[in-house]
Amino acid sequence: MYKNGLSYAGVVSLLLLTHLSMLGIVLVRGNYEEPKDLAMLACAVLGLDLVGIIASLCYRQMTYTLDLMLLGILNMSLIFQSCFGGVHLSVKFLITCVASLISCELGFLLTRNHEWIRHQKKYIYLVIGILILCILLFTGGRSMWITFKGFSIQPSEFIKPCYILICAASIVELHKKIKVTFFYVSPDTLCMLGATLVIFGLQWWCRDLGSLPTFAAVFGCAVVCRFCYPRAKISKSWIAAAAVAGVLVLIAAWKLAPAYVQERLHVDIWADQYGTGYQQCQALIGIARGGWLGMGPGQGSLHNVFAYESDIVFSTICEEWGLLYAGIAVLIVLIMLTTVLMNPPKSYYHATMTAGIVAAFVAQMSLNIFGSCNLIPFTGVTLPFISQGGSSLVTCGFMVGMLKAGQSPLFRHQAAKLREDAAAELPSLPKIPFLQKKDAPKKPSGNAPQRSHTHRNDKNRRGNA
Amino acid sequence: MKSIRRGQHLITLMLLIFLIGFGYLIYRLQRDSGFYISHASSASLGCVYDRSGEVLFDPHATAEDYGGDYFLDVGNLIGDDSRQMTNTLVAQNKADLANFSFMLGEQKDGKAAIYTTLDHNVNRKVYNAFGSKDGCAVAYNYKTGEIYVCLSKPSVNILNHYNDINNLKEGSLLCKVFYPTVPGSTQKISTTIAALESMGYDTLCSKEFSCAGTYNNNHSQVIKCHSDGHGTQDIYAAFANSCNPFFAQLIEDPDWSLADIQKTYRSMGYRVNGQGDLNYLDINGISAYTASTDVSDKDDFDSQWGCMGQGTTLVSPLQMMVWQSAIANQTGTSTMPYLISFTKSVSGDRKNEAVTETGSQMFSARSAAYIRDIMLRNGKENYAGVLPGTDIGVKSGTAQVKNGTEENSLLTGFVDDEDFPIAFCIVIENRVKGEVSTSDIAAVMLQQLKASLNATE
Repeated sequence: MYKNGLSYAGVVSLLLLTHLSMLGIVLVRGNYEEPKDLAMLACAVLGLDLVGIIASLCYRQMTYTLDLMLLGILNMSLIFQSCFGGVHLSVKFLITCVASLISCELGFLLTRNHEWIRHQKKYIYLVIGILILCILLFTGGRSMWITFKGFSIQPSEFIKPCYILICAASIVELHKKIKVTFFYVSPDTLCMLGATLVIFGLQWWCRDLGSLPTFAAVFGCAVVCRFCYPRAKISKSWIAAAAVAGVLVLIAAWKLAPAYVQERLHVDIWADQYGTGYQQCQALIGIARGGWLGMGPGQGSLHNVFAYESDIVFSTICEEWGLLYAGIAVLIVLIMLTTVLMNPPKSYYHATMTAGIVAAFVAQMSLNIFGSCNLIPFTGVTLPFISQGGSSLVTCGFMVGMLKAGQSPLFRHQAAKLREDAAAELPSLPKIPFLQKKDAPKKPSGNAPQRSHTHRNDKNRRGNA
Repeated sequence: MKSIRRGQHLITLMLLIFLIGFGYLIYRLQRDSGFYISHASSASLGCVYDRSGEVLFDPHATAEDYGGDYFLDVGNLIGDDSRQMTNTLVAQNKADLANFSFMLGEQKDGKAAIYTTLDHNVNRKVYNAFGSKDGCAVAYNYKTGEIYVCLSKPSVNILNHYNDINNLKEGSLLCKVFYPTVPGSTQKISTTIAALESMGYDTLCSKEFSCAGTYNNNHSQVIKCHSDGHGTQDIYAAFANSCNPFFAQLIEDPDWSLADIQKTYRSMGYRVNGQGDLNYLDINGISAYTASTDVSDKDDFDSQWGCMGQGTTLVSPLQMMVWQSAIANQTGTSTMPYLISFTKSVSGDRKNEAVTETGSQMFSARSAAYIRDIMLRNGKENYAGVLPGTDIGVKSGTAQVKNGTEENSLLTGFVDDEDFPIAFCIVIENRVKGEVSTSDIAAVMLQQLKASLNATE
């Protein structure tokens, strides 16, 4: 296994193979009036691929798995979105994809230095405050959208990465404690709790309860990470009390949810197929109609249903492309999220940050996919990287940049040197485990047999040579 | 590093939960895709057949292929895929008819089908036996639960594609077997069971009350009888005579309480005094009303009238028939009726084989045996000609409807034959003397059914 999880050639091949096969499907089964529609789409996709592949070679730091996977999923989405209801290049989505890629680099540059970013927390709180003010002042009447001359943005999307950054905590921050009544609490945790209350209250007030579970997942992750910190000295009874409190909050939220949320929680969609359950029923019928291989790009009928390109986009893809390609899209996102497992962070701040990012993505994907398929209440959130929506895509790109920053840095010249050393010293050993062991040496457990101990230490020693 | 590793575990856990959810989603899609696609406007559906293989629903049926009235007797029971009727077999089981699989998509030549327990030939003959009258009839095997006959008149000819929907008679689009009706004196079966449960057989048999044509109850309200007076009667005679004054006096009897009546009624499936939820029977997705009544004062006219099947008492013909199974089997537990014998998948594999199920204990086996005896004696004395050579236990009833301007005639009962275990219920609406009677229809139904089942064997 390489530091990035997959070899460069492997990722590039996967990327190109996926996009070429999709373009081939559009050519053979697509609903297009003129070949030029397809040609424009192919040029856009392959052009973006080419630029991305070349650009990834220019980075000093080896993060190509995430870079290329992001490019892969965005281009897949570009093809999906350009084919709904008929093949035509969606220029708006293409521009958003480019913005997302740029946003990714921005996220990486801003967060790669954990010491620097954790000292900017006061500014992050300030940004959240400004965004909340924008929502309150400019959205107009308990909404999350700011519309200006036909152009809409959703500031609450931008709050997500900021919230993840304030939920992330370093060991130093957790060590600082002040006494509040009877308890010693870290000021960082107190600030985070305050911000959480404000954000949750805003979501409640704006009736944007769809995003609430995403923020709750990030918050839950932050709380668990604080519990996981070995020196936090949180007793088991505290953990049990927190779990009980969490359950009580969930029950209260369930009981106190507004009428429209209650309706969604209890609706039998098939009993009201042409009323409240219309979107989900059509979504499920669309998935069934698409089967594994789909009806063909642009051949579906879900594009006539409201929010086909955002809230029920998974179903629209399933209908036109089949569950196979929808599954591949999901798989690519999951691979992106697993890169932090292949290449773990070096700092605690980055560890908590990456956990928050994964929580946000997993929660949002679950809400969109399982919600539109009636496994959980339908909340109407976007599917990361795939749904149309500039704010969402730019935010997702930024968060992938943060994820990239969270990985242990490995620079191209280091990797080359390590490979050369390994080849010279241990020609018979495979290179992949060598690199892995070097960067993430395993401590022998106390119960491990002595033989195993020695073996591991030997390997580590060789790796560090 | 330990803290970081714990963070990694958290990420792994989150991804695993998502993957499990996604795996479950794929499983659900594979399993339920037929159900989803059956709700689409253009689903390819298979046929519904009766027990001998006669078609009861064909999505491509035309009058030329089947003849004009071929589906008339089952129009509002089997229904079609037009969404005009929702409480029908096709509407509720479209998923089993969908010629579709998630793997292969729509199969125009698929073999998806539903095989019912109905006997279309007998069903049609019973439908025709109603002549110009409207009503409904249902019959089933009280040992297995197979419904052989189920019809409701007027019905709808689905081959007309609802072109005449505005001219259809009221009630054409629903099968009245599953909907509430005033039970009339057939309610006296339930009241007698309640008395048996509370007093016991010997005490009940020892009760004798006189009927002089009218009876002034404890609240000085007048209970009328349909005759000039039956004289002094015991439960057997009063049951056969459907004597209202006898039952009014029985209800007032101090040997049992109001709570006793309510308890037995509730265990039989009644919703009493509007308390609790209405109970419904599920017949392969078709929702069937059970029973409801108001009994709040033993000495009051309304309660007594309710115990005799008038007032606010409502029972579905299906429920009346189901009670007969508990009586005929002498168990006090009903055999649950069903319409679908089995289904075939798109590839032609048999699935969803019907299984005989029994309901909860409604009354004791001893009470079941006694009421069976009372009904059989009534059958022997008054309905011997319905199925010559075989004993039947029956109870007739006359129900005043539409504020007393019309009277419905009812007959419910069972055949006392191990080889022909049939329970039934028949309702003729707005019947006047001299017209076709419930016993005439029962005779057609039971004789034709016996011949048909013998022929099949």
